[in-house]
Amino acid sequence: MFIEYTWLVPLIPMLCFLIVGLLGRKTPEKGGYIAIAGALLSFIISALIAYEYLTGDAYPEPVTSQIAWFAIGDFEINLGYYVDGLTCMMMLFSSFISTLIFIYSIGYMHAEGARKTRYYAEVSLFLTGMLGLIVSSNFLEMFIFWEVMGLCSYLLIGFWSFRHNDGDAASANAASAAKKAFLVTRMGDVCLMAGLFILLGEFHSLDYTQLFDPANIANADSTMITLGMLLVFGGVIGKSAQFPLHDWLPDAMAGPTTVSSLIHAATMVKAGVYLVARGYPLFIQDPEVMLFVGIIGGVTAFFAATMALNNYNIKKVLAFSTVSQLGYMILALGAGGYLVALGMDMGGAEGTALIAAGTAGFTAGCFHMMNHAFFKALLFMCSGSVIHSVGTEDMRLMGGLGKHMKITSITMLLGSLSIAGFPLFSGFWSKDLVLDIALEAGDQTIWFTVLWLLAVITAFMTAFYMFRMWFMTFMGEEGANTQHCHGESPKTMTAPLVILSVFAVLSGFLIMFGLDGMVSFEVTDTAFIVGGGHAGGMVHYFEHLFTNPYTYLTIVLALLGIGIAYLMYAKKTVDPGRFNKHGESGLYKVLANRWYFPEFYNWVSWKFGYGVAKGVNYVDRQVIDGTVNGLSAAVVGGGDTISKMQTGNVHDYTAVILLGVSVLAALFVVIAMILGGM
Amino acid sequence: MFVEEIFGDYAAFAPIIIMLISALILPAVHFAGKRHTVTWAVALVLAVVSMVINAYMLVDGFTGTTLGVYEYDAYTGVMLLLFQIVLFLAILVSNASTETTRLHVGAYYALLTGATTGMMFVAGSSDLLTIFVGVELTSISSYALVTMKRNDSRAAEAGVKYVIVGGLSTALTIYGISMIYGLTGTTDIAAIAASTAIDGMNWILAIGLVCMVAGYGFKIAAVPFHMWAPDVYEGASSPVSLFLATGSKKMGLSVFFQIFLVLFVAGSSLSAICGEEVQYLFAIIAAFTMTVGNVVAIAQNNIKRMLAYSSIAQAGYILIVMAVMTDYALASGMFHMFTHVFMKGGAFLIVGALICAGLGEKISDYKGLAKRSPFLAAAMLLFLFSLAGIPPLAGFTSKFFLFSSALGGVDGLTSQWVWLAFIAILNSAISLYYYARVVKAMYIEKGESTEKIKIPAAFTVAIVICVVFVIVLGVYPQLIFDYCETAAAALLL
Repeated sequence: MFIEYTWLVPLIPMLCFLIVGLLGRKTPEKGGYIAIAGALLSFIISALIAYEYLTGDAYPEPVTSQIAWFAIGDFEINLGYYVDGLTCMMMLFSSFISTLIFIYSIGYMHAEGARKTRYYAEVSLFLTGMLGLIVSSNFLEMFIFWEVMGLCSYLLIGFWSFRHNDGDAASANAASAAKKAFLVTRMGDVCLMAGLFILLGEFHSLDYTQLFDPANIANADSTMITLGMLLVFGGVIGKSAQFPLHDWLPDAMAGPTTVSSLIHAATMVKAGVYLVARGYPLFIQDPEVMLFVGIIGGVTAFFAATMALNNYNIKKVLAFSTVSQLGYMILALGAGGYLVALGMDMGGAEGTALIAAGTAGFTAGCFHMMNHAFFKALLFMCSGSVIHSVGTEDMRLMGGLGKHMKITSITMLLGSLSIAGFPLFSGFWSKDLVLDIALEAGDQTIWFTVLWLLAVITAFMTAFYMFRMWFMTFMGEEGANTQHCHGESPKTMTAPLVILSVFAVLSGFLIMFGLDGMVSFEVTDTAFIVGGGHAGGMVHYFEHLFTNPYTYLTIVLALLGIGIAYLMYAKKTVDPGRFNKHGESGLYKVLANRWYFPEFYNWVSWKFGYGVAKGVNYVDRQVIDGTVNGLSAAVVGGGDTISKMQTGNVHDYTAVILLGVSVLAALFVVIAMILGGM
Repeated sequence: MFVEEIFGDYAAFAPIIIMLISALILPAVHFAGKRHTVTWAVALVLAVVSMVINAYMLVDGFTGTTLGVYEYDAYTGVMLLLFQIVLFLAILVSNASTETTRLHVGAYYALLTGATTGMMFVAGSSDLLTIFVGVELTSISSYALVTMKRNDSRAAEAGVKYVIVGGLSTALTIYGISMIYGLTGTTDIAAIAASTAIDGMNWILAIGLVCMVAGYGFKIAAVPFHMWAPDVYEGASSPVSLFLATGSKKMGLSVFFQIFLVLFVAGSSLSAICGEEVQYLFAIIAAFTMTVGNVVAIAQNNIKRMLAYSSIAQAGYILIVMAVMTDYALASGMFHMFTHVFMKGGAFLIVGALICAGLGEKISDYKGLAKRSPFLAAAMLLFLFSLAGIPPLAGFTSKFFLFSSALGGVDGLTSQWVWLAFIAILNSAISLYYYARVVKAMYIEKGESTEKIKIPAAFTVAIVICVVFVIVLGVYPQLIFDYCETAAAALLL
């Protein structure tokens, strides 16, 4: 009875957007309470839907319903909802975390005055985008919400356009950051759109039910599916900030911290991972595609972690850690999908075994996505609390804050332990599943062994940079800005921190209480099913987890990372300058400049892109147009120059036009000759 | 129905008769009344009357022929509606715009209406010569419209350029027509398509076709015949720019549909001779037109020039229809023409409104507009994002239709035009770059002034109409798309 109302989940924040946008000025908190109420209501409805679905008869088959939107040619495009285990998990954590972030915003955006209306309207629309994307029943509908989210991120990242970042010279200001986020993700969107066109041409529909039907997949051209899914993955690379389009996410830190939290934890970047999980039945048609996905994920995880090692901006460190963790999720999905794809090609008992092993990759990726949502939302909101109180983002100016901000420092410690993979914290469970599936895929191809190695090193780096951040902020002697500290943040800010820290610590245990069934991926003879629980598979993994020597390796590496950070930044017995020649070493500079990616992109866009545009414009205006301009200026100029028109310029001008006609004629003849008609 | 009762045998001509009356009496009305507002009201009312009659005929499914040269069917009806919407928007704001109120008002409205009459005449013609006459009526009226801002040297320069370019294109066109006539002995398009007089590809046919493509290519500003458009749109007053960019260009595209689609419709004897060659020719023109338009638009600092180049690119998208040559593509192309009227028209209206309010035409003049006029900034954001193809706005839906038509999905085969769809998708990504510049200036950058902007009510009404349609056609495309499908079927039988 609730599932029929799934369309309400995105509609409620949409209504909030309209109400806040139109009437928000006149309400208390400038619309803040309306936005909170909307997000909370969406969460409650999501919870009811999830409960009904998971306990209902249909489970694990998806429940879907749609109405015709428009028909063009023989393509029918529908609007509707699609509820399965993945949908339930996504909408639950997205709406829940968003509710907490909105509550936190009341405290954090306190000083914004009338601009709060715009803020609450935009975040409501942003949430609409994410929830709509999750419940969509076809790719086109999903794409629309995907773009709505892109647009909102543009407006939100640019919210503080007048502020400049401190602590990181490589970054641009908010206005450029917003544009960069919009245009870079848009590059991915172009690929996604092209991919969707290929799928549309191949399947004549974009409905999930049609696309995921094994009979339809068997009828379609497999090379086109491969090409289509590679292009779709291009969209994921843009949206989920994967290498080489990762560079917008660190710059997006220029937005308010609450927005960063929303983008990194509950929405936006998760959309890309969700798209891979959603499109899994198509992705696993080709092992090579999944290998590519895995490589991008693993490289991103490693690459982003290196850039977090020596950054001094508290939010940037978190941004790089998000990119790195997203890499983990993509790696898990890629490795698992690779095994499933191989298994499907292989068939027989051996193939079935591979499929069974591979499906754990899906669970691992989705599980890590959820855990990451909780601890990353927590970490960002903690950093927001710190920034709110000391007024800077530069960690060198902080230090010793632990005494002043007890709740923030403890909750942030819990979040850091979680992301570092400290045993029994949520990040530990999912990260080890990710590593495990990568290692397992490594049995099939050496690529995944290399990626596993990168991922293990990343785990070490993660522990190090997270605790470097925590120690620099909360321990040691007091920094220049610590004196200005206003003390602990208001209750509207600390309450969400406490709630989230409970989840960040404990959400890992959900895998033992049914989550493994909810986000499992099953290949049956006739269908692909998300949810439905082969819980036995996961039990195998937990046994494996504690008997596996590599698990202890990662635990040791995590502890080592924390220990080194402690010695360097809390106890200060080891001088960090020893390792980087006091900031002069080449590697240090490379990392501080983000491997020179921002400069490279600037070069491409300014020197190359804008240069080409300028060049073409010059040719257009001066060479072709110049003659025309000269001519008409001559006419306007008066009688004495008209003679010129009768002598030379008209000839030039007609020459240009006739040249165009001749080009066309020649082109036509060439085409005719190629086609053999002449 | 009442149209037949009133107009009798001339029923097919009814919308045009109203426009003709309007064009003829407007100078007299102005001479007699000397009141700008009265002339404006008469022009507006007659445009609406003509639109209502046409809408009634279209919905009613009227078909008929007048004088043996003018045929009204679903295609004509849809195109007429398009031209009338453009005319309505242009007239609506002309009385309020400071750019047009100082002109010879009677002549101004008469020329606008006259140009529209020419367009409407084209839409019902099926003969090369009648089409030619209609196009000339529009063109000659347009030359005068552009130069009416007499004290502005930019307008004069643009006008002269426009006349010269237009004259040359006319010469090329008539030359091409004469070649074809020489080969087939007829100027009736359907008869040429079925003609057995041509037994194979020859130079005369090739030159005739290329000259016609080039001649009408000027009208739609296809590359390499596009150079006049930015100067003319920049130089003309904003309502006229709106009229030219959305109306006159659509007429050119309609000419392409009516001549080349009918000539080379699958199965015609001409299509057996060189159908595929012509398709490739158009595919290449389309690819270049959209790419050059978008790339050059990046380098523009004047918003009118930027919109002009973006219009060139949009024409490039619509030229996909000429490469694909299916019913579905034609319907999508017509639908895109409708959405383009509202989004590009809306953008020009905002530019015009801001000129009235004393704002410049540079993109940097738009800094901080979101503070000064939240309504105009939000509307502009919608129009620009719609032009860039961001869902769920009209521009996205129509581009989705248009590009997916290049997939050739109807018969289930993957078509040879997939590459064209990809170039188009890439192009819409490039286009976002220059649209985003304007949005950034409006929303994110700080302007020097924070004074509120007040614009005339007529502009507000026109902009609201465009906003409504940009949203409605995005969410509910069938509103017009159904008619476009019927129209495409009527033209291509």
